[in-house]
Amino acid sequence: MKIIKLMAVFTALMLILVACTSDADTTTTAAADAGSDTTAAPVEEDTGSLLDEVIARGELKCGTRDALTGFAVLTADGEHVGFDSDFCRVIAAAVLGDADAVDHVDLETADRFTALQSGQVDVLSRNTTWTASRDGSEGATFLTVTYYDGQGMMASADSGYASINDMNGAIVCVAKGTTTEGNAATVSERLGLGWEVRPFDDNALIQEAFDAGQCDGWSADSSALTGIRADQPAGPDSVVILPEVFSKEPLAPLVLDGDSDWAQAVDWAILATITAEEWGITSANVDTFLTSDDTNIVKFLGGEFEDGDGNVAVFDPGLGLPADFAYQVIKQVGNYGEIFDRHLTPLGLERGVNALWVDGGLMYSPPYR
Amino acid sequence: MTTTVAKPSRVTWVRRNLFRTPLDGILTIVFGSLGLYVIFRGVLFVASGFVNGRWQIIDDNLKLLMVGLWPVQNLIRIGVSVAVLALWAGVIGGVIAGRQKRRGTSSIEGLTAMQRASDLTRRFGLVTATLLLLLSLTDTAGPWIMVLSAFVAGVIGRVIGGWIGVRFLPIWVSRLFTVVMVAVPIGVFLYLTSPWLPDPLPAARSSEPSAWPLAEWEGFMFNLTSAAAGIVLSFPIGLLLALGRRSKLRLLQGISIVYIEFVRGAPLYVLLLMANVSLEFFVPEALAPSRVVRAIVTFTLFTAAYIAEIVRGGLQSVPVGQEEAGKALGLTPTKQMRLIVLPQALRNVIPAQIGQFISLFKDTTLAGLALGILDLLAGATAITQQPDFRGQGLIIEALVFVGFLFWVGSFTMSRESQRLEKKLGVGTR
Amino acid sequence: MAASPSPPKLTSSMTTPTPEQRVPFWRNVSFLKWLFQLVVFAIVAAVAIWLYNNFRNNTAESGIPTNFNFLTNPASFDIPGADFAPTERFQNAFVIGVLNTIRVSIVGIILATILGILIGIGRLSKNWVVRKISTVYVEIIRNLPLLVIMTFTFLGVVLQLLPRIENSWTPLDLLVISNRGIGVPWYQDTSGLALFLVLLVGLIGWWLIARWRHRVSDRTGQPSHGGLIGGAFFLLVLVVGWLLLGASFTTPVVDGRQIAGGIRVDPSFFAVLIALVIYTASHIAEIVRGSIQAVPAGQGEAASALALSGFQRLWNVVLPQAMRIAIPPLGNQYLNLIKNSSLGAGFAYFELTNVTQVTVGNGSPAVPAFFLALVFYIALSLITSAFVNLANRRFKLVER
Repeated sequence: MKIIKLMAVFTALMLILVACTSDADTTTTAAADAGSDTTAAPVEEDTGSLLDEVIARGELKCGTRDALTGFAVLTADGEHVGFDSDFCRVIAAAVLGDADAVDHVDLETADRFTALQSGQVDVLSRNTTWTASRDGSEGATFLTVTYYDGQGMMASADSGYASINDMNGAIVCVAKGTTTEGNAATVSERLGLGWEVRPFDDNALIQEAFDAGQCDGWSADSSALTGIRADQPAGPDSVVILPEVFSKEPLAPLVLDGDSDWAQAVDWAILATITAEEWGITSANVDTFLTSDDTNIVKFLGGEFEDGDGNVAVFDPGLGLPADFAYQVIKQVGNYGEIFDRHLTPLGLERGVNALWVDGGLMYSPPYR
Repeated sequence: MTTTVAKPSRVTWVRRNLFRTPLDGILTIVFGSLGLYVIFRGVLFVASGFVNGRWQIIDDNLKLLMVGLWPVQNLIRIGVSVAVLALWAGVIGGVIAGRQKRRGTSSIEGLTAMQRASDLTRRFGLVTATLLLLLSLTDTAGPWIMVLSAFVAGVIGRVIGGWIGVRFLPIWVSRLFTVVMVAVPIGVFLYLTSPWLPDPLPAARSSEPSAWPLAEWEGFMFNLTSAAAGIVLSFPIGLLLALGRRSKLRLLQGISIVYIEFVRGAPLYVLLLMANVSLEFFVPEALAPSRVVRAIVTFTLFTAAYIAEIVRGGLQSVPVGQEEAGKALGLTPTKQMRLIVLPQALRNVIPAQIGQFISLFKDTTLAGLALGILDLLAGATAITQQPDFRGQGLIIEALVFVGFLFWVGSFTMSRESQRLEKKLGVGTR
Repeated sequence: MAASPSPPKLTSSMTTPTPEQRVPFWRNVSFLKWLFQLVVFAIVAAVAIWLYNNFRNNTAESGIPTNFNFLTNPASFDIPGADFAPTERFQNAFVIGVLNTIRVSIVGIILATILGILIGIGRLSKNWVVRKISTVYVEIIRNLPLLVIMTFTFLGVVLQLLPRIENSWTPLDLLVISNRGIGVPWYQDTSGLALFLVLLVGLIGWWLIARWRHRVSDRTGQPSHGGLIGGAFFLLVLVVGWLLLGASFTTPVVDGRQIAGGIRVDPSFFAVLIALVIYTASHIAEIVRGSIQAVPAGQGEAASALALSGFQRLWNVVLPQAMRIAIPPLGNQYLNLIKNSSLGAGFAYFELTNVTQVTVGNGSPAVPAFFLALVFYIALSLITSAFVNLANRRFKLVER
């Protein structure tokens, strides 16, 4: 009787294990063989796109942060203000027609990707650098770059450093879990500087260590450093941002892999701001452009125009967005230049490589037709 | 005829206690001067902070540290909830005291009012003083009203409970009473977190409900409530695990042992980090929990393993004869456990359980670091970066304040636990 | 006179239940127990499978790997204070993390035990000042959260109290104390292995000499001084080893912004260690006090009757018995210390938890990485428990 019982239990166990792990083995081995996980079977789940879900929900869950001057700051009234926060509002204005229908979810650096992966947020607009490994193993799809940045180094003004090559054997403090860690280590190896890179969980600790003299240098994205410099307790002139930019840090919003409808919708919402600036459309004058002679602009804004047959039509490229999404975006938030001027120009950041392509920068949008 | 030992004179006392041997004398001088220096610097630190405004950082940010970012006008629900909970706690205290009076095991019968007062002051004086200190730092009348109403509610509850406890009530009344007592905290919780229940004051009934969703509980409230939730929710799980570990059924025993040893070998900080990044993978998207819920779930699962070990110790401390007597009376195993073994076992380990609660209370600070919740300690670190206060090394003041609050709570609870231990005579019977 | 009836013969039909005597299976206790276990197992298995399926679905949609292949990828981060290049693999980083955890744990356990015993004895001292100071220490520290203490030691002690590198303290010209690290004189040009062998030889020699002296003392009745003579031998071995290995000491000096020479104690290690020692010592002090009080008073009185001095009474009679009682709770505190070392992750000390966090932040999948870290911690806990149980079994009273 005992043996029979034991055998029954074991058989049941075996059956269950076999049933469950057989699928798991094929997925994991396929992933391991393929190397890049974007080629692993695009799972044809019958869940529908996130685009429909967000429209049904009526609110966009946007992953952001609460304390990076210029990009995303949580004010005392509970509002999120900044460059990245504005792009959250851009997406909400495009998809939902209301720039304020956003739930800004504050995320720590360490769990921003897992929040996206688990569906806690729909899109991440959190000064995140586009890298290959994030495309691959983090399962991210990066959208249009909103800010071409680089990694810089900030040092105390009385340290006597004029360039990073002076920083032999220095202690460099970075934020944990970011690309800055790896970049600083790589640069140190390459230039033979022997840096000691110390990662901290949040900027408050780095600030304390920097003030106490434990860090010779504070390395982060140049844009972030500008904001941090403006907030220094001893004034912006007590620190100096060294001239070298030692990595490419293209900052872009991102969504999760495997949902191209959602990715494209978000992408074109962002591109709308660049397109608007190319045409000189601002939040102040957008209404006058609705009746422009250029039918391309009218189509872009979702206005009515006469097509070839003489019928009145509205242009819908089939992205799943409302036809006037660009109008809502520009009216409620503004074009790229306005967003930049509102948050980043006061910090002293110049357009530089973030200018429009016609001005020698990298901001270029595909034609909307 | 008894001889009384004369109280030693002052000189004798000093000689005996401080300068017994030359080495003793040296120790006295060295440690004495060290101690005096530390006390002097400490008092100077606290007092000068008032003079040169270094305590301003606490003064300005008191609300942030206590309840986080919740708007001030929406704190009415908290006030009502605190008053209701004070009433509830008063009733429970009164019922216990009444029962003791009925059974004759009361420790307060026959004490004069002065003695009662001095006993209460000794026990709760520290907490009261701290409360008054915190209240003095607030600017509005709201906290004063809240504390006063809670105090009044507590006293009323104690009186009512005392009246109930002394009487013999019919079974159905006492059963109903138990149900009501269990329902009250749940009701308070629902009231706090649901926007559909009405606001207490007409003035507060605006278009924006003043409910306080669980995801936004921050500050010291988070520490207190997550510790309470953790210990309460972990208790049934811990009990089941302890019973499972003791059972003769190999499978149950195996599962219990694996769970207990796995959780006890893991640091709570790592479990919280894991919960932060991976809990969402294990539940379907619709249930994706907020940070606070993740913290409370981790605390519950963690504490359950420790409670299981404590309860197991308690079960082992009950003599086997009790169980055998139950068997002889023809009780089923479940009834034996419920009526005979468990009451004794749990009563024996009450101090250990309180110790676990204190430990959990202190460990809630880890959730602030691991999950980025703005609890008391994380809030204190954050406020030192505010524009008005940065660069002045105010982290020391902030940490002293935080440490003081936690210390008052832990110290009071451990003193109460020691008192309870003495009263129950644990370990002496 | 009737013969007593012979007992009935036992036939098989009496021992095996006849069909109508067999208890129906729904009331058969052993069957019910087995069924109950099966039901519990089914529930647990169902929950586990549900969790696992959710995990698979949630990760398959975004193509995140769930295996341990990430371990062979290059780390692309740097570990301060260790010989680790960003091009080495993650698994090497993990090993360094485990070693750092063990390092802070062992040093912490030793220091905390010494401090805890001293304070525990101090709480029972006849000297009023010492007694009060010990009591105040224990009552204050025991009720504070460890994170508060560690934040204080890092932000308060290390960052604010210790000076900047330009103004570092150099007591006796031997040490360099700054908030970047503490420079300590150290052997130069010596491989770790040679140093370890010298230490090993010294310790074994100490132990052997102590045993020999104790045997001599048992035979002759003279005091053994085993500890002192053994200690002298240990020092002798150290000196000889130092001479043999090149006799070169380097003292640290401040070189620009660095500490050149000697060996540098990481400031985060220092902060984490101090916090752990302070906190755990307060708990150990309570345990030591409790176990000394649990030693029957007669032991102490007998020792006094034999004219042993206070120190001798403590060292030879009371403490050994007290330690026997104290071993299980002490072991518990050691386990707590090992687990609490994980808090160093918040203060830039590269122990195991920090390495795992940084690994996950640099593109590795979170669930396998943390699972690996948990396995390590559980293994460390089990090993330490095994040691404590061994000590407990060796020292406990064998009762009849």
